[in-house]
Amino acid sequence: MNLSSNAEFIESISTKFSSVENEFDTLKIKVKPEEWVETAKILKEEFQLTYFSWLSAIDWENEVSVGDPPKESVSPHFEIVFCLSESIEGNVVLVSTEIEKEDAMIPSLIEVFAGSNWHEREAYEMFGIEFNNHPNLTKMYLPDDYEGNPMLKSFELISREVKPWPGEVDVEGMPENGSKEDN
Amino acid sequence: MIDGSQILVTAGIVLAFALNGAVIFTILDVKGASWMQRRPGPLHVGLRGFIFPLAEIIKFFQKEDITPTNVDAPVFKWAPAYVLASVFGLFVVVPISPTLVGSDLDLGVFYLLAISSLSTLGVLTAGWSSANKYSLMGGIRAAGQLIAYELPLILAVVGVVIQAETMSLVGIVEKQIEFGLPFALSGQGLAFLIFMIAATAEMMRVPFDMPIGESELVSGFLTEYSGVRFLIFYIAEYMNMFVLCAVASTLFLGGYHVPLLPPEWVNFYGPVVLITKTVLLGFILVLVRWSFPRFREDQLQNLAWKVLIPLSLLNILITSIMKVVF
Amino acid sequence: MDDILNTGNVPYVSEASVSVEIETEDMTLNIGPQHPSTHGVLRLVAKVDGEKISSVEPVLGYMHRGYEKLAEVRTYPQITTLVNRIDWVSGFANEIPFIAATEKLMEIEAPERAKHIRLILTEMARIASHFVFNGAYALEIGALTPIFLAMEDRERILDLIESVTGGRFHPNFNRIGGVKPAAGSGPTTKKNVQDLPAGFYQETRDAMEKVLEAVERMEDLVGGNEVFKARTKGVGIISKELAEEYGVSGPILRASGVKFDLRTQTDFLPYDKFEYEIPVGENGDCYDRWYVRLLEMRESAKIILQAIDSMPSGPLQTKVPKVIKVPKGRSYVRTENPKGEMGYYVISEGGLGPYRLKIRTPSFSNISILPVLLEGQLLPDLIAIMGSLDFVLGDVDR
Repeated sequence: MNLSSNAEFIESISTKFSSVENEFDTLKIKVKPEEWVETAKILKEEFQLTYFSWLSAIDWENEVSVGDPPKESVSPHFEIVFCLSESIEGNVVLVSTEIEKEDAMIPSLIEVFAGSNWHEREAYEMFGIEFNNHPNLTKMYLPDDYEGNPMLKSFELISREVKPWPGEVDVEGMPENGSKEDN
Repeated sequence: MIDGSQILVTAGIVLAFALNGAVIFTILDVKGASWMQRRPGPLHVGLRGFIFPLAEIIKFFQKEDITPTNVDAPVFKWAPAYVLASVFGLFVVVPISPTLVGSDLDLGVFYLLAISSLSTLGVLTAGWSSANKYSLMGGIRAAGQLIAYELPLILAVVGVVIQAETMSLVGIVEKQIEFGLPFALSGQGLAFLIFMIAATAEMMRVPFDMPIGESELVSGFLTEYSGVRFLIFYIAEYMNMFVLCAVASTLFLGGYHVPLLPPEWVNFYGPVVLITKTVLLGFILVLVRWSFPRFREDQLQNLAWKVLIPLSLLNILITSIMKVVF
Repeated sequence: MDDILNTGNVPYVSEASVSVEIETEDMTLNIGPQHPSTHGVLRLVAKVDGEKISSVEPVLGYMHRGYEKLAEVRTYPQITTLVNRIDWVSGFANEIPFIAATEKLMEIEAPERAKHIRLILTEMARIASHFVFNGAYALEIGALTPIFLAMEDRERILDLIESVTGGRFHPNFNRIGGVKPAAGSGPTTKKNVQDLPAGFYQETRDAMEKVLEAVERMEDLVGGNEVFKARTKGVGIISKELAEEYGVSGPILRASGVKFDLRTQTDFLPYDKFEYEIPVGENGDCYDRWYVRLLEMRESAKIILQAIDSMPSGPLQTKVPKVIKVPKGRSYVRTENPKGEMGYYVISEGGLGPYRLKIRTPSFSNISILPVLLEGQLLPDLIAIMGSLDFVLGDVDR
């Protein structure tokens, strides 16, 4: 079945890590930033999760300039997630940690998974998160002289300001509590 | 010895032969491609697709002739002419019939091989003067390739020369008539094969088209060329293909001669016979071009130095022994 | 002679005598963003010494459209339109994981018939994508004919996709909770919902026969060619460990000998009902990558033929609220895209759109291996290796 319905695997993960969530077939381990690299190593070596899928971040913020804010107010922080999998039965694990927004910094996973290189560069560019020990922490997509981190919730979509979206001719019946309804 | 009008007539014949050859081979190539690739354009549209090559040529005339800023302008502009001239020079010695020949040189084969290597310079200057890294690499690849394949080409012909005991092209054809069998079927089959492979490399056609190699070098030494200058390269390519096929049919397949037809009418049927043989050889090249991928540069060099040259030397050895024994 | 040495160009003489071995400087060669074989606008900054590559640095971003950000200001039904355009060669396959993740969060399930239609179209998208690869790869190796044949064959598949969805590249056919009624099915009334256009089954069967023929032909024309073998066998070998470490997925991973196909692990599409094989390579070289994709087309055609025969009847949509709101929660769903693992991590805060949508695309991870793989290779091999990774720039940059 999908992702994480392998009971045996969930069992073994749960005994190793204390904070394992399994909602909507998505297995997630919550760790402290200090255990970040160590967790990756353990998962790689003890649980044969050798396949590095992706790494990204989430900006938790109450004041948002795009989209809807979180339902319940949160303390502003970055949540960093990486995803590992193994290639026999397809078990998938997400590992997440929370770091402060001020001087956001986390050790790089490169020594464990070389493939995290580009994913970390992307997170650095989009969120402004520093990855320690990263050999080449430069911009991935944007021009070199670009300022700002587009994926931050405080980053505005300029076109959205000029022309509200969803536009007035939308047919799908739009939100009653949408963020922009000037007309 | 030769007065002005004779030169004009000779030049006229050679010109007509060369340009018609280029046209025939362009149509052959385009038609062959569209037939193999199921392309409706050149196969069905407008006069059964025959209008297509014409449209292509008109297209080139319409295009702007761009000289990029940093190129070495005189060299860049003259390189196509150089290539064209060197190809054109080859036509002079190809006998269309015993008398219908630009100039029946005693050292015809020698002249032919000498002139054919001149186009290397044109290609190299084109690549070098373009001020483009892809062009430069294309030019250098072309130079390396043409030098490597010049040798098997020459060595393959040496076998023919030994067997025919002459370097005149008319003489070689006469020898084959005398012998009753074309050289390709009487001892020089291997040389024929080597000659065709090396000639394909000389023409820079698939599978030896690395100097142009559009997926690697954009368009190699042709990258910066456009409009009429590109067209000249294009025509030179097909002329080269035509003349090398014509030379191959002269050296190995009996040239203008065909058995059972009266020899006194050779001036009339000679051109037709030669062109037919040439087109048949060209058709094989077309089939190869549209079904083969491209070699890698080092594989190409290996093929030349490690396979073709030893084989052609072996061919010379065998031919010489046979010559002495019989 | 003495005169020349004494009065002539002294530095020249000394220079010539000092360095016996010629020291050369690496040339920086910009491959792309406008280059015939970078599949769009990828740029590789290569340091080359003659034909030999000493280092390669891919430069991305020429196709970056910021879909993750855009998704934050769209509602869930609107996002399917966006994700169609990530990998435009197989648009339909992109919609599936997103729809799956959303349905999972809403705890609804599409009817069986809708699932079958989704499966058929996904496999069609896979065949279409692999046709493009087959043609384009031969073109990159230098053979010009296969791409014409492949494009013609692909057109048949696209026609089928169009007849059902109304779009060739961007079907936008999935709805949360099912699929929309087909384009060619005429006016839809409440009593008479025709989902697939008339004659679709027979046309599909014919088209799949043609696909099987095309695979045979491609195997002959391309795979049987000695030059093609010489160019691809033993070139660009990716080891199993390297592939996994970089998150390389899909046919590339399978060519390296890992029998890992997400189709076997999804409960979202009814793949477990059908019989098919997962082609696996041995050496992990360019030839294996090409061959695995070719064989996959055959398997996909088999799956489609089985799915056509066992198509259940029933509705196309489950009941969903008119305004779709997704309850709070997170779900990561990944499926087997033609290019590899395609996954969406949907983080919902209970609104009309996701709070955050992480899009995991296969091509991004697949080409992240390029700098490692290309070091020390020859320039023609660069093209052969790059082509064998079969990436789409929209899939890389998002």
